Amino acid sequence: MTASSAPLAPALTLRQKARRRRETLTAYTFLLPYLFIFLVFTVFSIGYAFYLSFTRYNLLSPPQWWGLEGYRRVLCVESWFPRPEGAPRPTCDDLFIRKALPNTFKYTAIVVPVQTIISLVLAFAMDQKIRFRRLFRTIFYLPSVTSSVVISLIFVWLFSPIGVINQIFRLNINWLNDPRYAFYTIMMVNIFTTSGTLMLIFLAGLQDIPTALYEAAAIDGANKFQIFRYITIPMLRPVIFFVVTVGIIGCFQVFDQIYVMTAGGPLDSTTTIAYLIYKWAFRDTTVKMGQASAAAFILALIIFIVTLLQRRIIEGSGTVSQ
Amino acid sequence: MKTLRMTMVLMAIVALILAACAPATPQVVKETVEVEKQVVVTQEVVKEVPAQRAVVRLSGWAASPEETALLQSLLLDFTAENPDIVVKYEPITGDFWATLKTSIAAGTEPDIYYMDIFQFPAFVQDDVMLPLDDLMATTGTKKEEFIPSLIDAFSANGKVYGIPKDFNTLGLFYNKDLFAQAGLAEPTDDWTWDDLKTAAEKLSNPANNIYGLGVPADAGRFPIFVFQNGGSIMTPDFQDTLLDSPEAIEAGKFYTSFRAEKIGAIPADVGEGWQGTVFGKGQFAMVYEGGWLIPYLKQQFPNINYGVVVPPAGPKGEGNLIFTVAYVISKNSKNPEAAWRVINYLTSEAAQRKVMESGFALPTRLSLQESDYLKTNPASAAIFRGALQGARPFMWGLVGSDVNDQMTKALERVYLENQSVEESFKQAAEAIRQKLAELK
Repeated sequence: MTASSAPLAPALTLRQKARRRRETLTAYTFLLPYLFIFLVFTVFSIGYAFYLSFTRYNLLSPPQWWGLEGYRRVLCVESWFPRPEGAPRPTCDDLFIRKALPNTFKYTAIVVPVQTIISLVLAFAMDQKIRFRRLFRTIFYLPSVTSSVVISLIFVWLFSPIGVINQIFRLNINWLNDPRYAFYTIMMVNIFTTSGTLMLIFLAGLQDIPTALYEAAAIDGANKFQIFRYITIPMLRPVIFFVVTVGIIGCFQVFDQIYVMTAGGPLDSTTTIAYLIYKWAFRDTTVKMGQASAAAFILALIIFIVTLLQRRIIEGSGTVSQ
Repeated sequence: MKTLRMTMVLMAIVALILAACAPATPQVVKETVEVEKQVVVTQEVVKEVPAQRAVVRLSGWAASPEETALLQSLLLDFTAENPDIVVKYEPITGDFWATLKTSIAAGTEPDIYYMDIFQFPAFVQDDVMLPLDDLMATTGTKKEEFIPSLIDAFSANGKVYGIPKDFNTLGLFYNKDLFAQAGLAEPTDDWTWDDLKTAAEKLSNPANNIYGLGVPADAGRFPIFVFQNGGSIMTPDFQDTLLDSPEAIEAGKFYTSFRAEKIGAIPADVGEGWQGTVFGKGQFAMVYEGGWLIPYLKQQFPNINYGVVVPPAGPKGEGNLIFTVAYVISKNSKNPEAAWRVINYLTSEAAQRKVMESGFALPTRLSLQESDYLKTNPASAAIFRGALQGARPFMWGLVGSDVNDQMTKALERVYLENQSVEESFKQAAEAIRQKLAELK
């Protein structure tokens, strides 16, 4: 048998080679429609936006080369420059540094930990053998499959001065029209919307942990909290990294809830970088497409740096890695 | 026509059969004349096909299904009268300005599009619209046929760029029942600021969530108080703002005093987003709104008993805002003459009368001010009169959206953060100056 198959081997590999080549070709053929769309609508668009970030462009007349002026305007504040009487104004758009940047960081710093903890606790609860857990899972996941615009509109009703929230808690707070509360209201909406998806990711992670570990801990006499702290959390570290990363990227780009609920107001208290980019690019009577593109690349850079840092922190603090 | 042709074909067949049956008879020659006639008919059809039909694309926002249907019926009438022009109506749903501006950037904009006066300066600066003066001359349409404050608003550098299609001004809407309950005489066109304040005091009942006047932090309402106080929002050349002038600050103090004294409120105070709804619910006795409130009340609050007068005059007389939209032609249009004929038809007296009588918009032609419709609809008539008395377009130059933002913020700072009017308006004016500097 072996003798007869040996001379056949090279012929087979040749045929295999041909087959592999054909398979590769087929794969690329299948990928072609997507690759085309990816190249035109993603790669080209990003490249063109990068070019636009160095121009002054209002859509109505062709872009003019502007060098780093757009970046300078985004990143400076007028009061940084001494201005003697009669001297020309430094052309700075204070909104980015004064409002959008601190707002975006504040938003991320609050929403990411809160939604991670809530979804982890929810996932842990849903992993126990409790009644109706399938029903609960569905309910918690429901907001994630609903359009964010619809949820935002529902929350506008709930948080209206005569809305359900104020009625139930006997409060008299103007949630969306008071600069002190508006941003926190939007944070609540976002936590409500995303926790369901993150819960599902955690749940998948939880079910991947071998039961042997839990059994061993139980034999050693660990209580529920100790099991959670010393078995579940360390085993979940890769999942936590994923959830936090996705959360940070999503938070830095928060836009739709703000667009629907407050349009950046009142008094810019809910203006984030993504909303500011939209405002410059589309809402202003004089469109500032170049400046908006510059802000978009600054935002991309911020997200890149923050994700790197966070990867260092989470992966550096433990031994478990993917 | 069809039957004629049929008979001719039948006769030809008969003739052929006859010819086959009995060749060389003189009758056959007689029938060939009929066949020649048939050839003439087909030639006529051939002539019609190559005749150039100019295609004109028209885009606007779709305000409501009824309004869209009305425009489509007007366009249908137009094509019936002008078979050489095909009008393609392409309404833009969603963000009109973002869509329009990006289509101009891509060079695919429609031949005719809606132009809001608020956006007009940017389009003039970048020279993307066609001046209409020469085209107007071809049909004998004169500038003077339109309400001056409207056609002037769409003129720049001595040229007309847009023909106003309709407009709105602000009127003082008042709730007749609340006035009767308070034992007050109803407002008239001769009211002043003092009358407004006295009435607001008597109409208010904060314990029951009823307030005399709606005073929203809205850049589309507040400026009329500045005008009525002899001030302005921008200098005439739009190179500087006058928001920190004494006239504007005084107007700001008067406007915000209503809420401070609890005889006026913003819609959010009573849990609404728009004061039109609050007025319909009977919680604001008076609001400054435009003609758009009339159909809204008719639909949502059919039982409300209300009247409309022109805004009460201030210390320096009348003042009002004009919100207006025009038809303009793109500079890149391949069929400007055809596009002009479409605009000329849509803004003709007949078409405007039809739109007015359907209750959607007010006509921009002076000749229609004496129409029966306005005589029998006093609310619309008050809004129409507003354009004739000291009204200025709702337009603040190239930084219009920033001026609006800053005006809103100036009022919000007074309302929500108890800042003084002087300080808040000065801060707003500085922010506008910063935006003006950015244009350079």
